[in-house]
Amino acid sequence: MNATQITGIGSVTPFGPLAGLLPSTSIDVIAPRVITAWPTPGLRRAFLVEPFRPAAVVPGLKTRRLDRLSAWALVASSLALQDAGIDLSQMDRSRIAVVFATCFGCVELTEAFYQSANANGWAGTDPITFPETLSNAPAAHVALFHQLQGPNLTISSKNFAAESALLQAASLLRHGQADVAIVIAGDTLTQAVYEWYEAAHLLAPACFNEEPLTPTTGFIPGEGVVSMVLEPANRRQARSYAALRGGRWASGGDALGCVHQLLSGAASPRIFCAGNGAPCTSSSETCSARKIVGPDAVILPQQPVAAGLADAGALFDLLLTLSRRPGSGDALMLGTAGVSGFAALHLELP
Amino acid sequence: MIDAEKTIVVTGIGVVSPYGIGWAALRDGMLAGKSCLLPTTDLYPGFRGTLAQVGELPELAESHHFSRSDKLAVVAALDAVSGFNGSSETLRESGIVMASTVAGLSEIDAEIAKGAADWYRRGGLKRAATYSVSCVAAAVAETLKIQGPCSAVSVACASGAMSIALGANMLLDGAAPMVLVGGSDALCPFTLSGFNSLQALDASPCRPFDQNRQGLNLGEGAAVLLLETLAHATERGAPIHAVLRGWAMTNDASHPTAPRSDGAGLAACIHRALERAGCGIDEVGYVNAHGTGTPLNDIAETHAFERAFSGRSTPVPVSSTKSYFGHCLGAAGALEAAITITAMLEGALFPTLRLTEPIESDGVDYLRGELRRQPLPVAMSVSAGFGGSNAALVFGRSRP
Repeated sequence: MNATQITGIGSVTPFGPLAGLLPSTSIDVIAPRVITAWPTPGLRRAFLVEPFRPAAVVPGLKTRRLDRLSAWALVASSLALQDAGIDLSQMDRSRIAVVFATCFGCVELTEAFYQSANANGWAGTDPITFPETLSNAPAAHVALFHQLQGPNLTISSKNFAAESALLQAASLLRHGQADVAIVIAGDTLTQAVYEWYEAAHLLAPACFNEEPLTPTTGFIPGEGVVSMVLEPANRRQARSYAALRGGRWASGGDALGCVHQLLSGAASPRIFCAGNGAPCTSSSETCSARKIVGPDAVILPQQPVAAGLADAGALFDLLLTLSRRPGSGDALMLGTAGVSGFAALHLELP
Repeated sequence: MIDAEKTIVVTGIGVVSPYGIGWAALRDGMLAGKSCLLPTTDLYPGFRGTLAQVGELPELAESHHFSRSDKLAVVAALDAVSGFNGSSETLRESGIVMASTVAGLSEIDAEIAKGAADWYRRGGLKRAATYSVSCVAAAVAETLKIQGPCSAVSVACASGAMSIALGANMLLDGAAPMVLVGGSDALCPFTLSGFNSLQALDASPCRPFDQNRQGLNLGEGAAVLLLETLAHATERGAPIHAVLRGWAMTNDASHPTAPRSDGAGLAACIHRALERAGCGIDEVGYVNAHGTGTPLNDIAETHAFERAFSGRSTPVPVSSTKSYFGHCLGAAGALEAAITITAMLEGALFPTLRLTEPIESDGVDYLRGELRRQPLPVAMSVSAGFGGSNAALVFGRSRP
């Protein structure tokens, strides 16, 4: 597989809307915030995005009628293109793809649609809201705003949506179906989603008190969107955050063999774990990977702030890891989900 | 010279449609010209309209709660692999790309809006767990014990066709030895109410491409295709139903819901798919259109065909098979791919039902009336959806 370069990054996360890497000094001090957006039965916390005005970040953006997910996708993708130094007016926009990864899609407006059905009956629902409940609405808005006429995909893969989106975007480039791909991954957190996690007993104790975070069971839900611009290695002279050399995601099977195959020829890669909410550092896959790359392998655990994004969190984890300036060389990004599979990306850091 | 490693073939087709379970039921129903669209009032209070519903589904071994979209997908996938004669290891390593727009929405009722936590306590927890479209693909993986790369794609009504395009890319990447691709969507109050609120529904059976068309009818169903490379299929002696010669995806980037009125985005998609297929415009013997029956779609699509097939020696034969069992949303593109392959294998060009006064076009031959019989070496299926997405698939009867 020819390497695909990550040439631009944009994000809307609990760190705010940002182009490029996150300030490394702020990564470890981020803390969950107390939820005030809806009534809770006691203290409840999550990694939340502070409200901001999208047009103040990206001049010309009109997001008044959009849900937060679409608005954030627009902001993050715009920042990523800006960060990549891509001048769209000089590009063939029919050759630019958008690949969006999400678990819940436009859940805010889906809930709003259910509200209108509950209030007025199914015969009295809101026609304005309905089309915006579709999962592909954020990717469609990105295409519309930037006038991008290439493939426009919205992908959802249990546990590994972001990894899947990265690899499918790279595939579009490799097969000449696009020259540039904008990958976007993220979700918004709503009352119904949070309450589902709570009812399913998936939340970490830190969701219910203001104690410092400690390694424990469960996770802290989060929200946000991360976007990365992918380009073939030989397209232009551009700054590269990382090269995606290969990867695989699977719903089960031989993770060890897959990692072994992916890393063949790679020298002592670092391993960093992706944020799908499942324990990764201590997983059998990570232990196996350690055996492959040797006892000195550096293993970076997944970040609680990214783990809260569940299926779409890996792009956020990648951003966090790159923001820590982990040094150059090969790296393995590993996500695990117990018996439900794994995702492995082979990256080369400049 | 054919590169068997880069030629994608269809070796299995599974269908659940309003005609019943199985590809044969779809084939027989359509060859008979039977419409499954029926007046319905029972989906929610106050609804009166025309729908096409799938009957009772077989009992499935569910490790957890499956939504109706999950079940439709699983039954279609089981049908697709029913004739599979390869090794269980090959099937286990296969990939999955399933399309859906509804997924678990059919399991969630409006009561959730009164208080989600309470609704979860009253039994909604496991039903809400089916909400993400990824659950449809996961249900297929769990039931068939498939452990390869597994994804769902949700790009409105172009989803089903895009699953096939993505599956083909995965095979070219060597990501899996075979890929199960397709789409599944169940009827439910959420989507029916949504399309009703948009005034997009025809209360009577729809009339795609008719000058007096009034809108669409919703249907439900699923179709799953087993894709593999020609080299892999030949090695295991698999039956080859069709060659997927070309595929492409584009976006109109013109409006959140309406198609681009001049059809340029869809025409570009058709052009790219034909280019990949190495097909000239005169080689295409039939186009299975998106053909929803809405005023905006059908005229934009006509313009797209006129653009894409401009210079053809004869008008391009086009029909909408949504006139048989409605618009199955995320499943539509996959079902229509199955229908397109059926048309090639049977040498049968399905007419649009109830089409009496076609949109005037010099470039399009709107099939209507009797079933037309003729050899069909190359046929095409096109899809479009909210958000401006387009997909085009080119199938060939034999090796290119």
